[in-house]
Amino acid sequence: MRYSDLGMADKILEVKNLEKSYGGKKVVKGISFDVKRGEVFGILGPNGAGKTTTLEMIETLRPIDGGRATINGVNVANDPQKIRYMIGVQTQSTAFMDKVKLTELLEQQAAAYGEKTDVKKLLDDVDLGDKTDSYIESLSGGQKQRFSIAAALVHQPKIFFMDEPTTGLDPQARRNLWDLVQKIRKDGTTIILTTHYMEEAEVLCDRVAIMDEGQIVAMDAPKNLVQKLLKKGFKKEQHVEQANLEDVFIDLTGKDLQD
Amino acid sequence: MRIFIAVLIVVVALRVLTRRFPRWLSIGRYSPTRTNSSGRVLSPWERQLHTVVTFAKISVRRYFRDRTAIFFTVAFPLIFLFVFGSLNGGNNSVSFNVALIDQSRTQFAQNFDNQLRANKMFKIAQNVNDLNQAKDRMSKSEVDATIVLPPDFGAVKNGSNPSGQAVIYYDQNSAQAAQTVSSVMEGIFQGINAKYVQIKEPFSVVSKSTNTQGLSKMDYTVSGLLGFSIIGLGIFGPVNYFPEMKKQGVLRRLHITPLRVWQFFVSSVLSNAVIGLFSIAIMLAVATAVFNFHMVGNYFELAAFIIFGILTIFGIGLAIGGWAKNENQAAPLANIVTFPMMFLSGTFFPRYAMPEWLQHVSAYLPLTPIIDGIRMIATEGKHLTDIGPQLGMTLVWGIIIYAIAFRVFRWE
Repeated sequence: MRYSDLGMADKILEVKNLEKSYGGKKVVKGISFDVKRGEVFGILGPNGAGKTTTLEMIETLRPIDGGRATINGVNVANDPQKIRYMIGVQTQSTAFMDKVKLTELLEQQAAAYGEKTDVKKLLDDVDLGDKTDSYIESLSGGQKQRFSIAAALVHQPKIFFMDEPTTGLDPQARRNLWDLVQKIRKDGTTIILTTHYMEEAEVLCDRVAIMDEGQIVAMDAPKNLVQKLLKKGFKKEQHVEQANLEDVFIDLTGKDLQD
Repeated sequence: MRIFIAVLIVVVALRVLTRRFPRWLSIGRYSPTRTNSSGRVLSPWERQLHTVVTFAKISVRRYFRDRTAIFFTVAFPLIFLFVFGSLNGGNNSVSFNVALIDQSRTQFAQNFDNQLRANKMFKIAQNVNDLNQAKDRMSKSEVDATIVLPPDFGAVKNGSNPSGQAVIYYDQNSAQAAQTVSSVMEGIFQGINAKYVQIKEPFSVVSKSTNTQGLSKMDYTVSGLLGFSIIGLGIFGPVNYFPEMKKQGVLRRLHITPLRVWQFFVSSVLSNAVIGLFSIAIMLAVATAVFNFHMVGNYFELAAFIIFGILTIFGIGLAIGGWAKNENQAAPLANIVTFPMMFLSGTFFPRYAMPEWLQHVSAYLPLTPIIDGIRMIATEGKHLTDIGPQLGMTLVWGIIIYAIAFRVFRWE
């Protein structure tokens, strides 16, 4: 499917000519993209490409300098408060205070939306059902990531933003998180994520946008991008191996999560 | 009624002055409709209340799990209480540090020596054997005066009674103390003289204590220490943990939610008031049990006024901590703001002892009416209705402080 074919699909996020400058230097140079309801959309790119800034503008955290972003037809710049009820953002695990139980952290997060929520069920959903009375500081890296996902979903957002969700995780925890992302997607939540790991993008994303120096240089389904490259005559040095070192590692240390 | 109108005028003025104000006040405009467990639709106000109460409740719980926080809010002010309590000695008696050099070998001098040592007015310095050592100690102000009993002191000369003249040395710094020491000595000699020479003096003076309970120095100090405690809680607390929360991204996470600045402020104020009352109750209990502090006022009025004071001073912490991007910005500003209050508002040093112009200036510091109010309720038994000026000035400061805090607050 080509980008131009998306016109008919149900778009939950529309970004048009979005711009951002810091101190006269343009870091996001008028990018445009749409995200369909229910898809997993990846934004890839080297550090400094403008991925995080783009997300932060859509998340109402940074003022938009030019262009516009609309979620469910609501303009982000005009109605940030309404946007905040519709989006969930996975934050760093340090963003949760120590000495507060996981259940209390979730109650507090829900209260920020003026809501009460079934915190036990939320923890069960991310496999932390036995950790209700734990503090965040006693969790492993993978558990912390899963907890921060639970916290971002307390108010059942329409779009879920994840900024490098698996950076710093070991392979088992990463695979476990991929399963969780797919589960959330199955529940009907649209997901937008950034990542440095191409394998992750291939596994999770329906479509990806590749950003470089503030611009989108390519956007399509991962498979199509690979096909295009091959059509240009690209040839990788051939090693016909059915497994790689990571497969060996997983085989030896077990596929199940160890945390 | 007049207060109500005044508050109304200030609120309207602020709405006009700052364009941001209406935004803080708008509530639940975008909140989708929600129901509670019994299916009733919750009003926007109920949801706001739920938000604020949940945040406050969890902060208080967290506080009681945080030993460092408990140390700084409970143990730390108590240490000050003990230091000042022991300095005041729990009573009002005056005493002088004196050196005693006994050059005489007479039995009389020996007895006199013991008598002086037993006298509560004098604290006899140890290890002073000659006048040079005594002068050295006097120059360091460790000793107020030196009493020398010369070699012939107490010897029996041309008669049946012992006689002698004690010499009191002092330096320029302690002339006043030396004079008092001389009078005390004269009194002692008069008693001795009366034993040897039977004369009835036509005029005499006797001083008698009325034995009624006045304001002890400790009663005065405790109110100041409560003020110090309020500063510690209200300013140094948030100035430390707000930049920390920014660094960790806690505030960024909350910024992504619809949580409003005023909700965050109100919940912080609520939890701070609870923690403050807890800390101050412990201080008052210790002051009463250990240092004979006399609470003469009404506890509820005192608690209400202290909550009001905490609320106002906490606004300063919110303003600085909410504005600062990191600790390096917060700490110096907090010190600049706090130091004048710490020294001039009557926390450690009574304001009545200051030069008059300084009293006039320090009267307008935000902490001054709070400490004065606490003192008037706790030690003078005044009621809230009697301390209108203190309430009024605290309120004015509160409005100014929170107007600033709202304007300068940053989530990141």
